[in-house]
Amino acid sequence: MSALLEVRGLAKRFATRAGREQSPWIIQGLSFSVNEGEFLTIIGPSGGGKTTLLNMIAQIDCATDGEIRFQSNVAPVNDMKSLKPGLDCQIGYVTQEDNLLPWRTCLDNVLFPLQVQGKLNDETKARAQSLIRAVGLAGWENHYPHELSGGMRKRTSLIRTLVYDPPVILMDEPFGALDAQTRLQLQDDLMRLWNLGKKTIVFITHDISEAIALGDRTIVLTRQPSAVAGEHAITIPRPRDIRGIMTHPEFIELYNRIRAQVQ
Amino acid sequence: MNAATDTFAADDAAAARNRKIIIRGGQVAVAVALIWIWKIGADTAGELFVADPFKVWDRLIKIAMSGELWMHTYETLRISFIGFVIGCFFGVLMPFVLRRLPRLTDAIEPYIMASVGVPKYALIPLFILWFGIKDAPKLWLIGLLVFYPVFIAIFAGIRGVDGRLINMARVVGASETRISREVIWNALLPFFFSGLKIALPRAVSAAIIGEFLVGNKGIGYYIEHSRQQMDVTGAFTGIIVATALVLIVNSALVYIDKRVNAWRPTDRHMAV
Repeated sequence: MSALLEVRGLAKRFATRAGREQSPWIIQGLSFSVNEGEFLTIIGPSGGGKTTLLNMIAQIDCATDGEIRFQSNVAPVNDMKSLKPGLDCQIGYVTQEDNLLPWRTCLDNVLFPLQVQGKLNDETKARAQSLIRAVGLAGWENHYPHELSGGMRKRTSLIRTLVYDPPVILMDEPFGALDAQTRLQLQDDLMRLWNLGKKTIVFITHDISEAIALGDRTIVLTRQPSAVAGEHAITIPRPRDIRGIMTHPEFIELYNRIRAQVQ
Repeated sequence: MNAATDTFAADDAAAARNRKIIIRGGQVAVAVALIWIWKIGADTAGELFVADPFKVWDRLIKIAMSGELWMHTYETLRISFIGFVIGCFFGVLMPFVLRRLPRLTDAIEPYIMASVGVPKYALIPLFILWFGIKDAPKLWLIGLLVFYPVFIAIFAGIRGVDGRLINMARVVGASETRISREVIWNALLPFFFSGLKIALPRAVSAAIIGEFLVGNKGIGYYIEHSRQQMDVTGAFTGIIVATALVLIVNSALVYIDKRVNAWRPTDRHMAV
């Protein structure tokens, strides 16, 4: 299978401010690839440049060295002005914070990408409505973000990306700040939605259990500067039971192997 | 525990209603007291210094019937509105232009901030010298007084827009124009209204001061003209009209703010 997204020898350090020492490398010599339709999870320590990595893939930040290739498109290096954020809506990005527009209601936030892309019609509106129902937000469409709970905002932000159906979706610890119950529910929702469409997903987390439960494959990152410490295929059959997966023998074996690699 | 507290505990709705009646009653009492103090002041100081409140009322009715009141009010509103629109236009436009020119912004920012300190009213004689004695000098004064609070509010607002929202909008495919219109403008609106709440009463005040000096119409003219005629009742009537005008304009603004910024979790501004 050919790689849809390929990262080769990626390196990043932030610009040095006048009168200071050069800032350290955040990422150095990072290489991996993502296949079409694959659910890749990436585990790394906090402060390890995981968000920076996704920002670079989404082209809202620029690599210092190395190569990021999506199909035939190579992201510019060290040239902020040539970045194409989201690569013409081909790369969706569910950020760590929900980043909902506070002046738009839940539904209008979900419709926002469709509006700016000029793709708002009866069919896409119906799709938005069915996604809202699928994640249990029915009845909350006309509420503003500040009137929604943290979990509801997270769901809104998730389906805002799903609604325009980008071929690749990046997810940056989307369930990190939620309580255990909501988190399980959302992992369930995500699995269900993913099984319907089999999108390519790059999912970042610091939680080993989440990485195993969701992914087809998981990559472990080292401490700063980040590089690949290990790579594990996850062959636990789907559909998986997110709540019961902890007792699966492969899960336990993988968990221990990954645990040893996470510094 | 006495009977009154029992009632409060038993029925919150009744308590709230009672509190409302007490507050309303208090407000009326304060108004009556103020008018009474005013009346005593008028009787003590004499009508050459303080007008009698009842005569002010009579005068108000009289100029309302004769149409004089509406003519002056219209004139003041007209000049305030035009000056306000001009000041607002540049106050909103300039920060958006400067946003695209960061180096120019850095170069001229200290000069803009220094020019805030110039007392605008001190410029009136120059405005009359430069722009004559028609609308122009008044519009310059009002325009400048409106420009600064709006400019500063919008400028601060643009700097305060959450960069993550802008990145999100870019990733989902929004154009820069779309981002300016949707993300930046909406994030700015609360700041804009804070600026307007300062600018709008200022516009009316500036119009009145302009009318003291230039022209033969408007509430400011009416107040100054009455003073020159030793008509203290007229001057007081003009002040009452001007105050009412500012209050009406302000409450209209608060109403619009509430409608437009309904998405905000709390109203961070003081209600007037």
